[in-house]
Amino acid sequence: MIRNTRMKRISFVSTVVVAGAMLLSTVPANAADPGVTATEIKLGITSPKTGTVALSYGKLPGAMKAYFDYINANGGVNGRKITLVSRDDKYLPQQAATQTRNLVLSDKVFAIVGALGTATHTKAYVAAQLAKNNVPDLFVNTGFSGFDDKTKYPTTFLVLPSYAMEAKIIAKLIADTPTLKPMPSFLIAQDDEFGKDGVKGFALAGHKFSDTPILYPAGSLTAALAEGALAKINAAVPAAAKPVMVLMGTTDSTALILKAAEKLSLTSRFTWIAGSVGGDANTLLALGVKPATIDGAYAASFFPDAKDTTDEYVAQFMKINEKYNKGVTFDNVVLQAMNSAMLTVQALRAAGKNLTRAGLMKAIEDKGSTFASAGLAPLNYSATSRVGYNGYWFGQLNAKGELKPVGGKVTLYTTDSATATAPVLSTYTRKPLPKNGIPTN
Amino acid sequence: MKNTSVRKRGLIFIAIGWALLLIGDRVDELALSQGALVATYALAIASIILLTGYSGQLSLGHSALMAVGAYAAALSTNNLGLSPAIALVVAAFVAGLFGLILGFGVARLSGPYLAGTTLALAVSLPTIANQFAILGGEQGVAFDIGLPPARFGEEFSQYKWFFWICALAALLMIWLISNILASRYGRIFRALRDNPVAASLSGINVGRLKVVAFSLSAGVAGLAGGLLVMLISGVSPSAFPLSLSFSLLTGAVVTGVYNLKGVMLGGLILVAIPEIAESVVSRIGGSEGFTVALPGFLVSALLILAVVFTPNGPGHLLHKKKH
Repeated sequence: MIRNTRMKRISFVSTVVVAGAMLLSTVPANAADPGVTATEIKLGITSPKTGTVALSYGKLPGAMKAYFDYINANGGVNGRKITLVSRDDKYLPQQAATQTRNLVLSDKVFAIVGALGTATHTKAYVAAQLAKNNVPDLFVNTGFSGFDDKTKYPTTFLVLPSYAMEAKIIAKLIADTPTLKPMPSFLIAQDDEFGKDGVKGFALAGHKFSDTPILYPAGSLTAALAEGALAKINAAVPAAAKPVMVLMGTTDSTALILKAAEKLSLTSRFTWIAGSVGGDANTLLALGVKPATIDGAYAASFFPDAKDTTDEYVAQFMKINEKYNKGVTFDNVVLQAMNSAMLTVQALRAAGKNLTRAGLMKAIEDKGSTFASAGLAPLNYSATSRVGYNGYWFGQLNAKGELKPVGGKVTLYTTDSATATAPVLSTYTRKPLPKNGIPTN
Repeated sequence: MKNTSVRKRGLIFIAIGWALLLIGDRVDELALSQGALVATYALAIASIILLTGYSGQLSLGHSALMAVGAYAAALSTNNLGLSPAIALVVAAFVAGLFGLILGFGVARLSGPYLAGTTLALAVSLPTIANQFAILGGEQGVAFDIGLPPARFGEEFSQYKWFFWICALAALLMIWLISNILASRYGRIFRALRDNPVAASLSGINVGRLKVVAFSLSAGVAGLAGGLLVMLISGVSPSAFPLSLSFSLLTGAVVTGVYNLKGVMLGGLILVAIPEIAESVVSRIGGSEGFTVALPGFLVSALLILAVVFTPNGPGHLLHKKKH
């Protein structure tokens, strides 16, 4: 009798254990992924909030948070509110590594979004073991084409076109513009993957500069160094010529070079071509560059002009910025940040209610190329590609900081980072803005 | 008597190592990762204490010496195919050699002049690094030590592996330094610091011994640099900013620049301050400006308090109370 009762008990306990195990096995896999609850999705970003680079990019996390706050106020994503944890990396690799690790291990974020900087993020990615922990690394703010390497960075998705693409399209601009083509051309670039990617792009395009490109250490460019470089080029070129000066660097470095030209009274000596990063007119003006200096300078972009209030995306983001990011001037950085935040919301929606890290990355691979975005170039996400935008259009800045398309009409070229194939004229038409800027995909 | 104290010191270090091993098995990955950083900073602080606290030479550019070791470690792994363990030894050796050469150059300098020279070295590091293609420019060079050995099992994480390496390296080196400081050389270094003229009159070759101290300190800093870049899998000039030199010097002053016993506390403070600041801000709330300014404020406040109340470090204060 006793034995019988014991057997019954054992059978009952076994049944409960087996049933429990079966029940647990049917619980969605997201139970294992940190950063997601029934009411919240926790995302993280590392970017420079202090230090010199913060002058240019300090607005990034605040603008992303503003867009997420707007989405939260409108119901969130599948009933979940988005929380953005922002950590300051001071644009230093060690700090970026520590802060990214803190986001993953301490804040237990679901994904990293919009991390900024090549030298910083390449190290942070490895140190925080984003690949091993399968942490999605979305829409990184760098044009380093190496992040497209799925073997090395299996969880990373680029958003900016690469610097190599940019260089190829700049080379095309010079070749296609009769006033620029016959002139001697020079390149001053950051001595990191930014500049090196650029040099690679010019080589792929077959463009030969009149002298060896001048590469300066990122973050260490001084006024004396900039003045020395400009003075040397000025002395080497006949006075009758108006050399083309290509600048590929961060906005603060570009500002330093332009201010050096102002000091040496060389602003009108050159035709300036700034890349999309350095050519952010609003930031250049905020950093003290004179309006007359940027007037007429060429700059690349894959976005509409951040001052173009007739653009529906710009207008909507401006409204959000006014309400949720009070006191912050709307510029290219804010536009880029809000656009990445909107892409993130679409990715989270595309991954469905049963949100997992693997599901999120799969959703971007499958549907990312169809997301609505402010970009005028197409997005190129697929099962084999982590490339975001792949094209640029060129315009000329005016003294107000507005970027007006060359020839009066936006002409966008798309290309790749790895081949010598010439850029091609894009026929892409972007998707209209979702109603009130709230994705419904 | 001498052998007894060496043995006693050895046993203390073995006990600390054993305790760290046990702790390492009981804490999460975040704590392990922070522990690795604490050990690395502790080692770097030890190199400053050896130089400044014991031999009386002031360096404001120790981050540059760490960078020398870091590049040596990375290049010896990538270009010479050496194992990471050997690479870390190479880091210490090359930085020590660099310190020796630099030491000969600056042997006649002292006080603010030596500080200025080392400061100049740290400031010019990015430019120097960018002159040599082999150093990889701003992007730098990878230093990947790979996964932990398979025999430790699948559960043995990378963070634990880093913690083991850093803790072991720090313990070994600090044990070595403490033995050196307890030896005749330690007494000579102190004599150099307290009264170089008297030291010279007692037959000590002041210039040569200063170079030896500088070289030893550089070697320890080089090993710390190698460990630091191991944690971020790569070395670049921006991994060794000038602010790192100042932080380490702050850590040394706060924990007592004349006392090696507080180095772990120094490392702990450097790692913990940003965390404490963030936790304070999240509790009491505050603007973003407040969040970013608080760590610097806490470090400065701690430095002032340490200088005013415990100029020789908290360890020294406890020692005084005991006696």
